[in-house]
Amino acid sequence: MLTILHSLDLTIPDGQFISVIGPSGSGKSTLLGLIAGLDEPTSGEIRIDGQVITTMNEDALAELRGGKIGFVFQSFHLIPSLTALENILVPMEIAGARDARERAQHLMEDVDLVARAHHYPSQLSGGEQQRVAIARAFANGPSILLADEPTGNLDSHNGRHVFELMVEMNRKHNATLVLVTHDHELAALADRRISLRDGRVVNDSDESDAGVEVEGTVEASRS
Amino acid sequence: MTFILQMARRELRASWRRLLFFFACIAIGVGAIVAGRSMLQNAGVAIAAEARSLLTADVQVDSSRPWTPETLAAIDRIALPFAEARAETIESPTMLRPADPAHEGAMMVELKGIDASFPLVGEFKLANGEPVSYSLIQNNGAVVSIALLDRLKLQIGDEVKIGNSTFQIRGTIDKEPGGGSGFRIGPRVFIERTAVEAAGLTGFGSRARRKIFFTTPVDKIAALVRQLRDELKNNLVNVRSYKESQENLSQQFSRAEDYSSLTGLVILVLGGIGISNVTRVFIEQKRKTIAVLKCIGATGKRITVAYLGQVLTMGVAGSGLGLLFGKAVLLLIQHIFADKLPAYMTYGLRAGAALQGLSVGILISLLFSALPLLRIRHIRPNVLLRESAVSKRGAIDVLRWATAGLVMLGLLLVVSWQAGSIRVGLFFLGGLALTAGALYLAATLLIFLVRRTRFLTSFALKQAINSLHRPGNQTRVIIMVVGLGVFLVISIQSLQSNLIREFDLGRSGNIPNMFLIDIQKDQEQGLSELVSQITGERPILVPTIRVRIVAINGKEVDFNEAEMKRDRGRLSREYVVTYRPTLESNEKIIGGEFWDSSSSAEPEISIEESMRGMAGLDVGGEITFDVQGRKLTARVTSIRHVDWRNSRTGFMVLFRPGALESAPQMMVGALNGPTGELERSRFQRAVVDKYPNVSVIDVVDVVRAIERIINNITLAVSFVGAFVLLSGALILIGSLAMTKFQRIYEVAVLKTLGAKRNILLKILLAEYGLIGLVAGVIGSLAAIGLSYMTSRFVFEIPWRFTPVVNLGGVGATIILVTVVGTLATVDVVSRKPLVTLRAQ
Repeated sequence: MLTILHSLDLTIPDGQFISVIGPSGSGKSTLLGLIAGLDEPTSGEIRIDGQVITTMNEDALAELRGGKIGFVFQSFHLIPSLTALENILVPMEIAGARDARERAQHLMEDVDLVARAHHYPSQLSGGEQQRVAIARAFANGPSILLADEPTGNLDSHNGRHVFELMVEMNRKHNATLVLVTHDHELAALADRRISLRDGRVVNDSDESDAGVEVEGTVEASRS
Repeated sequence: MTFILQMARRELRASWRRLLFFFACIAIGVGAIVAGRSMLQNAGVAIAAEARSLLTADVQVDSSRPWTPETLAAIDRIALPFAEARAETIESPTMLRPADPAHEGAMMVELKGIDASFPLVGEFKLANGEPVSYSLIQNNGAVVSIALLDRLKLQIGDEVKIGNSTFQIRGTIDKEPGGGSGFRIGPRVFIERTAVEAAGLTGFGSRARRKIFFTTPVDKIAALVRQLRDELKNNLVNVRSYKESQENLSQQFSRAEDYSSLTGLVILVLGGIGISNVTRVFIEQKRKTIAVLKCIGATGKRITVAYLGQVLTMGVAGSGLGLLFGKAVLLLIQHIFADKLPAYMTYGLRAGAALQGLSVGILISLLFSALPLLRIRHIRPNVLLRESAVSKRGAIDVLRWATAGLVMLGLLLVVSWQAGSIRVGLFFLGGLALTAGALYLAATLLIFLVRRTRFLTSFALKQAINSLHRPGNQTRVIIMVVGLGVFLVISIQSLQSNLIREFDLGRSGNIPNMFLIDIQKDQEQGLSELVSQITGERPILVPTIRVRIVAINGKEVDFNEAEMKRDRGRLSREYVVTYRPTLESNEKIIGGEFWDSSSSAEPEISIEESMRGMAGLDVGGEITFDVQGRKLTARVTSIRHVDWRNSRTGFMVLFRPGALESAPQMMVGALNGPTGELERSRFQRAVVDKYPNVSVIDVVDVVRAIERIINNITLAVSFVGAFVLLSGALILIGSLAMTKFQRIYEVAVLKTLGAKRNILLKILLAEYGLIGLVAGVIGSLAAIGLSYMTSRFVFEIPWRFTPVVNLGGVGATIILVTVVGTLATVDVVSRKPLVTLRAQ
């Protein structure tokens, strides 16, 4: 048995931009997964807006993510069989939004991809794919945006552009942003920085309360 | 709902090509069901509509005995008040020979003596399309089937001898009223009814069948039939109406329809297995997409429903395509076989059949994709963060097991519905599962053995063997389905050659190939001498007496009684019996005791084993026979097994000498006729010239007729086998399309490592060649098993290995699979590696 994330107590207030930094294997992605309810902690609990998510079943978690959480992944994770526009539409269709198409158009404009709306992911550059992913993340107006190394697969120019776009959209939507990154320069731009090493918080630039609360340990067996 | 529909639509847009081939199998299966059912329904309707013209009347009364004046009077007394018209015929097989002694040949014909009023219903036309005028056959005229002229090289205007009379051929016919259905011993010849008697063909021992026909208003048919049956029940007279034939036909057709449907089901179930596998691979490939969907808020249930919608759409499309395919098959049948099928038959799809085909196709698609779709629930969204994330599985997945149970039940219901019986459904599914399971196991074993072969030095071959294990490759399923097709085709071909060899009596020495029948007792001596003069062999002539059963164990035969009704076929037929003191070499006593060589006054009989149990009959029981109008009760003292294959003559009932010698009797003889066709014909002519009442049955003609039937059956079964092979090829193409991206990657890697195009091509050829070899060998081995078992235990004929069929089948399978597979993937070889590797 290997402890990936040791006992930790973390509260992220509403609207805060927080960066999580640390070397590979330090537990950054695991922390992100826990916040999104993609992973279960071995012990402890996670609350979002005061609601305990660690006891929720798979379907309730999916609905929670659909309504409150937006994701941006390192490798974009667009659905290859859908066009750019359709990728943005899907979360709204899942949530049963009425004006989905209209909102999707606006989001396409926000990320400046109107001309590429009917292209498939394989026909887009990495930067363009990540911009679609950002638009998708904001489709249902989430209160929390989780970004896992969003610039990790991009060159520095594109990376910077995507990062700025993300931060700007986040401001516009007034969401809490949790950014996991290797990049100290990007991390420095956050309101608050947390450093992880070997599954422990070694540095936290700030301590305040509300928003997301994480408390507990994650263990995983690695075969 | 929007999400589910949109998702299904969009995913379908992207992946329909990959799923296409599996649903093409559904199309073929549905097409087979729809075509089979429509075809038989159409034929049923056409034949039912023609039932009246097949009978050539509304009601028919017939008997194998001459009408007694009392019977005739009774028939007319009852029928004439109902009847609108009446006709009478006599039919008899007999020998015909050219009247000119210089003109060679003689042959058996089916003679029919008719009245001016024949036929009451239906058309009677000459080959040139003009109606047959009765005046053509008056004054010893004859109208004959064209086949007769061909066989005996006769022309219109020539004279022929039948019995003691001479007739002039005045016209030919293609088709006769009542059709030419059933087994024919010779071509049809029409003459005047009174001329049959004048030719001496209706005397003692004749096998003439007399029929009286009536037309009557539809509402009186049933009453007429009932009254005739009541009145004539003790006179060995059969009464039937076209209405009853219609009912029997419709029952037979609906049973035939259900069985035909099972062929389509075989293909559908095989396609279903393909679908099940492809869905599993498909979901595996969609892991990331499903994880993304879960990440952005979709529940497992909604995603499952979206993919189910996709499968359903493909199922509906495949089944719809099946309807088109079915229609195409019907048009093809019309094009090829229209002249052999009822004239008024239509070739449209039947609504009921189409609906059944559609629903079965869709149900099969759903049933077989249900289990693999359940895997969607286990895909965790955290695979997006970590590649190695493990799917979550409970210890016992209740939903999975429950679904598996429901799928099995659903399958059983679908099959039973199509087969028209749960019992048949169970047997069908069980049989199919067993066969498919055996083929699957054999495929696994062979692949295992191939993999263990250590002495291979060829890089291409080694690489090809590794490819058989590519994840998502449907190797075993392909082998199973192709193997099953090969199995069906080879089995029937090999059985065919075994059957035809067995029936080819002309070739095997000891079994007689000619029979002399209707020999009168006083002709015995002369005929024997004539035969031994020509063939050098004295024929063994056996006395025969024709009898009917009137009572068993003292109980009169009455078909209103349940037990007797069940044995109607065996009880109502006429038996040809003989008497002798000893057993023949092909007979064995299996119950009771056979008599010694002395004769006895008390009638004793030995019955063939299949008669045991007939209305409770056994050793010690009694049968009362009607022997030419005289009642004779005989005790069963033994039961015999008869090896019919080695019989010169075989008898169901054998009398102990003493009881029947004085009864009116005819002799029959079996012999080996001359070998050449011309000599056989001359021999027949010589016999008939001297003894016009004697008939010669040339077994060679009968063998030809049987060969035709066997060939038709073989064609039909091979057709089914070809369909299965076709679906095997489709599954092959489909699974290649499914795993193509892996191939492309492998090829790219091999290319960068220095593999040239011809090596890559060799790898492809070797891989498909191996699959073809394994499938062919399995199919061929299974076929050896089936044809052996069927030959030995069903047809009871010796079995011989058919190397051409079996080895040729393996070769053909290798070629088929290699060609199809290579064509489907050859473009992989010519891709530029860099593009592929960059995209990874």
